[in-house]
Amino acid sequence: MPANLTYLGVELARPRVAFFELSSCEGCQLQLLNNEATLLDFLSLVEVVRFREGMTEAGDDYAVAFVEGSVTRADQELQLAEIRKKAKVMVAFGSCACFGGVNQLKNRFSDQEWVKREVYGDFHVDTQLARPISDVVKVDLMIYGCPVKKEEVERIVTDLLLGKAINHPKYPVCMECKANENICLFDLGEPCLGPVTRAGCDAWCPSNRMGCWGCRGPADAANIPQMARIMAEHGFSTETLLDRLECFGGFAAHVEEIRKKG
Amino acid sequence: MVEKIAFVDVLKDKAVDDLLHDLSRFEYTYKAEITNVYPLTQTERLYQIQIKDPDERNRFIFRPGQFVMLELPGIGESPFSISSSPLRRGDIELCIRGVGNLTNFLARLERGAEVGISGPFGTSFPVETMQGQNIMLIAGGLGLVPLRAPILHVLEHRSRYGEVDIIYGAKQPSELLFTYQYEMWRKFDISLNIIVDKADESWQGPVGLITETLKERIVVRNAETLASNTFAIVCGPPVMFKYVCKMLTEAGLPMQKMFVSLERRMHCGRGKCCRCNIGSTYTCLEGPVFDYWTVMNLKEAI
Amino acid sequence: MIFKVFAKDELTRLFEVLSVNRVVGPVQKGLDRKNRPIYSFEVVDNFDDLRLDYPSTLYPAKRYFLPFEETLSSFTLESGSWEKHVDYNVYQPQVMFGMHACDINALNKLDKVLINSVHPTPYYASKRRNMFIIGIECMPQPHCFCRSMGADTVQHGFDMFLTDLGDRYFAEILSSTAYNYLLKIKTMEASETDHQEYRQVVREKSSKFTTHVDTTDLTKILDMEFQADVWKQWGDKCLSCGTCANVCPTCYCYGVQETVDMNLQAATKTKQLYSCNLIDFAEVAGGHNFRPEAHIRLKYRYYHKHRGFVEAFEESLCVGCGRCGESCLANINVPEVIASVRYEE
Repeated sequence: MPANLTYLGVELARPRVAFFELSSCEGCQLQLLNNEATLLDFLSLVEVVRFREGMTEAGDDYAVAFVEGSVTRADQELQLAEIRKKAKVMVAFGSCACFGGVNQLKNRFSDQEWVKREVYGDFHVDTQLARPISDVVKVDLMIYGCPVKKEEVERIVTDLLLGKAINHPKYPVCMECKANENICLFDLGEPCLGPVTRAGCDAWCPSNRMGCWGCRGPADAANIPQMARIMAEHGFSTETLLDRLECFGGFAAHVEEIRKKG
Repeated sequence: MVEKIAFVDVLKDKAVDDLLHDLSRFEYTYKAEITNVYPLTQTERLYQIQIKDPDERNRFIFRPGQFVMLELPGIGESPFSISSSPLRRGDIELCIRGVGNLTNFLARLERGAEVGISGPFGTSFPVETMQGQNIMLIAGGLGLVPLRAPILHVLEHRSRYGEVDIIYGAKQPSELLFTYQYEMWRKFDISLNIIVDKADESWQGPVGLITETLKERIVVRNAETLASNTFAIVCGPPVMFKYVCKMLTEAGLPMQKMFVSLERRMHCGRGKCCRCNIGSTYTCLEGPVFDYWTVMNLKEAI
Repeated sequence: MIFKVFAKDELTRLFEVLSVNRVVGPVQKGLDRKNRPIYSFEVVDNFDDLRLDYPSTLYPAKRYFLPFEETLSSFTLESGSWEKHVDYNVYQPQVMFGMHACDINALNKLDKVLINSVHPTPYYASKRRNMFIIGIECMPQPHCFCRSMGADTVQHGFDMFLTDLGDRYFAEILSSTAYNYLLKIKTMEASETDHQEYRQVVREKSSKFTTHVDTTDLTKILDMEFQADVWKQWGDKCLSCGTCANVCPTCYCYGVQETVDMNLQAATKTKQLYSCNLIDFAEVAGGHNFRPEAHIRLKYRYYHKHRGFVEAFEESLCVGCGRCGESCLANINVPEVIASVRYEE
């Protein structure tokens, strides 16, 4: 493993990175391990000191922390504070960490005790509302997606190492969907959040004829009122729109506004 | 017997010596070397860059006001106005502020590092047409960067020009560029007038907006010479040149004798990507140097 | 121009003769929710897959000339030094079997800015020069306004253009390559009857347009109405999603991205077609955005198409294919936008 990395003659420090998981399926971390072809290259860029899914050792000396999952318990808040103290760069890894993810769907229910009984029965679990990690600590970088896209993570890590700014696409999924020359899902009679959701996934779902559920949160110029009109024009109810907007938590502010208007 | 359609090698279509129409030039980059780096301020550095191949170096000529695209493989490519004298062959100076991926990485490179250069591109200040007349060069902040090439041209051909004023405004004294050359400019009979928004302990000169200094110089140079015998070159932030050009117009300077250099983000520099378009005018082809009449007709310029 | 006619079944033979090359043509891609067929330009191996009577395609054939993403160059790096490698990504000629006049006109317009200008781009030129184009006459659809844009007929930029005369095709032959290929099938000299029938088809086409755009003095009107409120109304609808640019046969704007391989030994410079409606189209290093609002970006799009290009080339950059309006989920379409700017609604 090279001790020193250089690019164009500039020495680059190989960052020590650690992976953590809060309430999540750990599927985002699995994405990285899935990529055997480039795994060795990835490991030559960074020094992984902690990665539960891939190694036994668990080091505490790291500069970059990738945190997957949302905050749903009090002890996770303490854990996050500890990680934040050590990490120079705090990365929210995947939709759960960025927005609360699928977990935050439980926040829709007014009676949280009922939710606990339904899910856990008599088994006592001390859970709170699901929150994004930015509610608890300062986050330096978001990596969106449910799950994250491995090619994108690899590019982001390479750019971090080089000191390049991490720029997510500001435009919506439609741009990538049309670049793939897909038939618009609305033309096929399906709802889709592609017009308002941040791109970067290469229109993963729409290219497989699945309407977008907004896992990457809103694009920079997301026109939600127009999205609502489009859904209505195509015969989809406000509830269908809200179900989608609420699925990953990225559109929380917009949902609140729509609900307020009734 | 059926034959395939013959393959056409497009590179053989055009005369190789026609640089502007040679297809192989489109993505061609001169390999160049950073021969020197000189910090001008906390954020701006002056890079001396030399094209490596001696033949290419000798062939590289530019006019004051033109720009080059500078490329670092895998990092990025951006336009930079050439700040050195056109008399220097193939060895150019670029004054660069670290604000993006490319410029920040550039700041980490050492002397001797290899970079890519293409160009020169764009329009230039008509310094030949300006001969025999007075010139006012007005710069705000980084706006001095594209003005340094015409300034050096005037210095090198001093006898061909009348009275020369440089009016230069900066936020604070620490942001002034090319301070080491001010003495030389003044010795060549150039009236250098500097004003800062905010003084520090060392600052002896005037404090205020550039328009105040300009107002004084307009009085000195009087309405008659402004109307009949003066060219102006203006570069700075949009708000600044809007006011400056308005003042000069009111003082009688004809719009077509006023030149500005505009800045836009470019991805190609070759009139293809449309990213630098103002209205529907390509800054990279029809600019970056425009006369003020043209600017007035560009819907989005100011 | 040389004209020939040939029996319809001879076209199968012509396809076979040409199919030693890569052939791209209109095929049915699927059905929409109302069971209407959707057409697309795809690589075709079998003549029976071709749908030459297609009304229009969802996407233009642009990706065969101007791919959405294309590598401009790649770099290999070694100890501080680097080498740049350029590849135009063209290895074989292609046959475009069945393009409508609007789409060929689109290529002619792209030629002006991408080939016949300073700094011509070899990526496009190499693909364009290695295309054998067979045009085919069409009947206007409700969204077509090519006639208003002067793009309902095409004079050049193809090798052969076919018009369906019922039992036979009327062929305009523009290139020697086309002439030579036609020698491989049974053709006849066009007779006066053929000419008459051809004129009849053209007359019928002309009479069938239902959508019109008034382009009289449009460049001036766009300048006059630069601050008009109608732009804001359209801007409120705009999703800033870039769909209109991606389905447009003439949109060529792009962005460049440079990426470094994970092994730090190589880098790639990639071009992606971009859209002037995307929020960061005119954003500069440091963050300033020259067009921060949707309506300003939308207006710019119309300016480029209907004013700037006219100023530069004395013709609009729009061919009136109507695809942008058909694909826009917000129902923003050229005829209505221009009518509103002219206060004709």
